[in-house]
Amino acid sequence: MRLLLVEDERDIQIFLEQALTEAGYQVDVAVDGRRAEELAALQPYDILIVDLGLPDQDGMTLITRLHQIGVDAPVLILSARRSVDDRVRGLEQGGDDYLTKPFALAELLARLRNLIKRNAPPGGENTRLRVQDLELDLLRREATRAGHVLQLTQQEFVLLEYLCRNAGRVVTRSMILDQVWGIRIQPDTNVVDVHIYRLRGKVDTAGLQPLIRTLRGVGYVLKDR
Amino acid sequence: MRSAAWRISFWASLAFTCGTILVFIFLDRFVANDIQRRSDAWLSGEVEVLGDVAAHTPHDALYSRVVGEVAELASREVPNRDTETPPASETAENDSVFFLQTDQNGSVKLWVGQGDGRPQLAAIKARQLAFIHPASIRIVGSSIPFRVASIALSDGSRVYLGLSERDELRVLRKLRVRFFLLWLSLVLMGSAIVFFTSRRMLLHVRQISEAASRIGQEDLKTRVPVPAANDEIAQLAHTLNHMLDRIESTVEQLHTITGSLAHDLRSPLTAIRGKLETSLAGMRDQKQLESLASAVEELDRLTNFLNTSLDVAEAKANALRLKPVAMDLDALLHTMYALYEPSLSEKGITAVLQSAGSLELVCDEGLIHRMVANLFDNELTHLKPQGRATFSLQRRGNTAHLTVQDDGAGFDEETLVHLFNGRVKGRKSHGHGLGLAFVHAVVRAHHGTVDATNAPGGGIHIEISLPLVPEVSATANPAPTA
Repeated sequence: MRLLLVEDERDIQIFLEQALTEAGYQVDVAVDGRRAEELAALQPYDILIVDLGLPDQDGMTLITRLHQIGVDAPVLILSARRSVDDRVRGLEQGGDDYLTKPFALAELLARLRNLIKRNAPPGGENTRLRVQDLELDLLRREATRAGHVLQLTQQEFVLLEYLCRNAGRVVTRSMILDQVWGIRIQPDTNVVDVHIYRLRGKVDTAGLQPLIRTLRGVGYVLKDR
Repeated sequence: MRSAAWRISFWASLAFTCGTILVFIFLDRFVANDIQRRSDAWLSGEVEVLGDVAAHTPHDALYSRVVGEVAELASREVPNRDTETPPASETAENDSVFFLQTDQNGSVKLWVGQGDGRPQLAAIKARQLAFIHPASIRIVGSSIPFRVASIALSDGSRVYLGLSERDELRVLRKLRVRFFLLWLSLVLMGSAIVFFTSRRMLLHVRQISEAASRIGQEDLKTRVPVPAANDEIAQLAHTLNHMLDRIESTVEQLHTITGSLAHDLRSPLTAIRGKLETSLAGMRDQKQLESLASAVEELDRLTNFLNTSLDVAEAKANALRLKPVAMDLDALLHTMYALYEPSLSEKGITAVLQSAGSLELVCDEGLIHRMVANLFDNELTHLKPQGRATFSLQRRGNTAHLTVQDDGAGFDEETLVHLFNGRVKGRKSHGHGLGLAFVHAVVRAHHGTVDATNAPGGGIHIEISLPLVPEVSATANPAPTA
């Protein structure tokens, strides 16, 4: 996966490049719009990350110009403004996405995956998910661990399903709130943690290898190996 | 909206009507007096002449004839304008004038006029007329009063000359009819003119107010129309536009400040967070991991605080940008309840949700989500174990009412006063004290109201009213009925 990162802030650039490379992307970095255009003209990219506040031009202008020269890769926009203006929302509907600074790396990676998946031809949807000895039957809404049926509420099943779909990857609390409850909030309280504890109490029973791990300050991960 | 033009023209017409009525009454009195003065002058002169003639004519057989002839001649001076009996024939008696001479005993000595003069004499006697100045009398059998002048003769007899007021009354009546028509047309014309002018003027005002109300939070670029005439209305439009210029620049400034503040803070925050997170990924030492993780958490809280502060500041300046969509508040409350219930019950708090069912609302989804979450957060952080919090939602008319009530300690007095100002929190509370200020800001941005009090039995009582559809313009308000 070739990724073009257009970001002028040196500090952000460095850690993003490192994190993206670790996540398996081949990263090229452009510090301004002109350089980004040059790079995009040289070779095709699978995905772009563009910061809205560039030194030489507005990020939106750059995206429009890139589209004009035939770059059709999806774009993840980084914005320092939280109230997203209409032009960005227009792009969002066009298949691109945005993220406000500061962001969690896990969320950035998740959004990148989503953008790539959205662009890829749709594959067959699995009706069963399997992570180690945990199995989810999406049709019957039933989860089993090591052959035993887990007594989960509807809400817990959806939460577990989300963790399974992202098995091996970190999910943040706000990602869980957004994907499982459909609300975009940043609570100062431990609301999500309590749900995870309860779910863990049912999934990771005594004698079994714990699957749901808490990564303090980051989020949660369902171990896939 | 009912136009004020009706009210203005009603009062103006009323004042105009009263004024013209007064003027016409005065004119009427003036004309009537003048007519009477003229006829009285004639009567006085004539009665003197007749008295003279009656005194100097020898009292012989011809006396009655001579005086009668003179009286007849005098009466001819008054045109008999009775339309029913035109004075075509000379013989037709003139019924508008009579001449009466009484002897010493007060009985009829000589009579010239219609009839035999007895009713006239009776009427004169009834009023005990002994006068030089003419006076009005009513004669039995005649609807029209007579103006009578009299003079006493040296031999003790009296001469009376009467003039019917018929002509005088007819002239006055015609005059009054004309006056009335003139008055009516003046009033009608006047009110029409007042109505149309005031409506025209108010139309300008209305256009201005409509335009001004369209200029909302999204659109501060538009200006109200300025009428061509250089009058007070145009001045009002100019003033409004100047005000809008100032507001626009202030809001722009605020956006620039919050924007650059956000940018200047967010970039370093992003860098710090990113670095912490990458270090966190490679960390094995549990102790270091703990401190790094808590640093990230603190950073997230700081970010959250920054976002909320900026939102509250923007909402206070009416500069919060809304992206209204239709959403179900009832469904949201159920979701929030499902999300918060485990945390609340973990703390020993009983949460109750009362809702009558689906309640659709046009609002900014993200802001309302955060507002409701704030209300739940508030209960979660402030309510003591064994407490009970009730969230109820109901629809009243075009408003959604969301009430939060608990049996906790309630707000302390100091907090209650500044509750919605932000940065104020109960002494023992946690958090940055922005929660309810944010709730207030969001509700205000949606043209709703928040009311926070301590319930009589203790505990807080927060009542939020949100219009189902936020008003787009102030003109949607019904005009207050006076």
